[in-house]
Amino acid sequence: MKTFVCIKYVPDTSEAEVKVNPDGVTVDSSRFSFDINDADNYAVEESVIIKEARGGDITVVSIGPKQSDVMIRMAMAKGCDRAIRVEDDRIAGHDPLMVAKVLAGAIKGQECDLVLTGCMAGDDGHMATGVALAEELGFNHAAMVKKVEVLDGKVKAYRELEGGLMEVVEVALPAVLTIQTGINEPRYAPIRGIREAQKKELKVVNLEDLGLNPEDVGPEASGLVLENLYVPEIESAAEFIEGEPDEKAEKLASILVKGGLL
Amino acid sequence: MISEIDSFTEKYDLLGCIQCGRCTGGCPVTVRADLNVRRFVYDAYNEEKLEELARLAEIWDCTTCNTCAVRCPKGLKPLEVLLALRSMVVESGKVEPTVRDALQSVLLEGNPWEKPRATRCDWMEGLDVKMAEPGVPVENLFFVCCTIAYDPRLQVIARNMVRILNKLDLDYGFIGTDETCCGSEVRTLGEEGLFEMLIEDNTELLNSFEAKRIVTFSPHCFSVFNTYHPDLKSEVAHYTQLFEELAGENKIPWGGELQKKVVYHDPCYLGKLSGVYDEPRRVLQKIPGVELLEFDRCRERSLCCEGGGGKMWVESNSKKERLAETRIKDARALGADIVAVSCPFCLLTLEDALKGLGLEEEMRVAEIMELLGEVVEE
Repeated sequence: MKTFVCIKYVPDTSEAEVKVNPDGVTVDSSRFSFDINDADNYAVEESVIIKEARGGDITVVSIGPKQSDVMIRMAMAKGCDRAIRVEDDRIAGHDPLMVAKVLAGAIKGQECDLVLTGCMAGDDGHMATGVALAEELGFNHAAMVKKVEVLDGKVKAYRELEGGLMEVVEVALPAVLTIQTGINEPRYAPIRGIREAQKKELKVVNLEDLGLNPEDVGPEASGLVLENLYVPEIESAAEFIEGEPDEKAEKLASILVKGGLL
Repeated sequence: MISEIDSFTEKYDLLGCIQCGRCTGGCPVTVRADLNVRRFVYDAYNEEKLEELARLAEIWDCTTCNTCAVRCPKGLKPLEVLLALRSMVVESGKVEPTVRDALQSVLLEGNPWEKPRATRCDWMEGLDVKMAEPGVPVENLFFVCCTIAYDPRLQVIARNMVRILNKLDLDYGFIGTDETCCGSEVRTLGEEGLFEMLIEDNTELLNSFEAKRIVTFSPHCFSVFNTYHPDLKSEVAHYTQLFEELAGENKIPWGGELQKKVVYHDPCYLGKLSGVYDEPRRVLQKIPGVELLEFDRCRERSLCCEGGGGKMWVESNSKKERLAETRIKDARALGADIVAVSCPFCLLTLEDALKGLGLEEEMRVAEIMELLGEVVEE
């Protein structure tokens, strides 16, 4: 089983105060801690579990700065075999379609049965990169996967749907699975393992190395323009609507109309 | 890994054990957990059994209070066998998620609390703090423990310290955001590789300051620097030792009194591991108005609060009374108004126990530096 696992280096914004820079489109990240995206961490673990059960090898793919090498080495310490890190400022990183094209560029031309990645990134939360990657590669895909069974030439993927439903699909390989958190319990990467992983291959490449034209994955190619970021104002208005169901519906509708939401 | 297992018997001198049972007899957690440390020392002779032993949940019950080592007539350290077994689990990566996250946070951010390094000095806001500079001589270089630096409940300890140091016009300096976890809990959680890395990094960092002495807030930092950092150029003191000196020389300007009965709880890492028993007591006795009481189990026999040995990240399965609760009940029976501590972990565990027992109205748990903050002249 030749597996690729795509991971992203993201800030932990769960507790930190988020401040938008004066340019209005970037965030002051100087007080954040950075780490592997949560869902991607589960994807790494799942790839290692599959490798332990069925053999094969795992390649980590990531787009990010040199500081993210520690995250990649941790994945290697857990069992991934090699890595490709794309470092290039010309990528429109805010657009999942552009990101998917770059990730596909790093995977294409190599033997690949399975691609795993997190179902969502903790920073921009698009939930789109994985499925866009499947499209770019021409692979099948299943999103929000909570359980995987690898069969001959296919995988059985258990997809978590709304309302607690589980959809079970069989997907022919090669395929992309976007992994939901909770599918497993990611292991710890001990420091000795991380040191040992320094011996493994970590290729740092740019767009030309991948045979990609910067114009195809840059801001000019992206249909997505990041206009403005802002921290939502905290409001604490709550209104309880009383009355019979008919009256409640009428009152609710009038509130929505008044608020310009309908 | 293999060579470590091979040398297990030798490394921990397992053949030196006479199975007298003083370790188990004194172990405070045996009243609430299945841990039998003598059994582990015995079973670990059989190297083929090590993997099996490492899978037993009770290896994580040890609080590393050091009682077994203090009581061992052969001078062995039975607890180290448990830590070595933990180490095997850590090397396999299959640790509890809380342990995993704490260790990873130490590697990435220099603290086990998953907080950004950049916010390590947020507690200093609004204070006039003197910062130490590499190469510039400084009398007292303060090392703020991660838990005190980040926990909003504990930051008052560091803030009070700065106010009092400024008041005394003492030559001091703080390190800033470069300060990194001392590694005490990393060691006891079994992450040997990371601990070795921290020893190297902290030795280099601390030696870069021309400090006459390093003053720690936490007994855990104090113990680990004194025991595992042979290349440190500065002496290491716990802050209660510094304040005992200052109080002895009548340099502390008292601005109030504390008409309370205070019982002092010996932290294991300051007492049993480091032999510092008298200094904190002398500081408390100097506070005007304080009547100092003693627990029956005090000094070498002090009861562990269960906050050390990585236990802040490993919950015990036992439903039996926590040792911290026993301690609070003992303090209440003595008629104490305040349980004074000199360790951040003791403060957290004992205060939790106090709240759990619903005794907040009757008693309080306070760090000595909190009490000093209340009685030293503004």
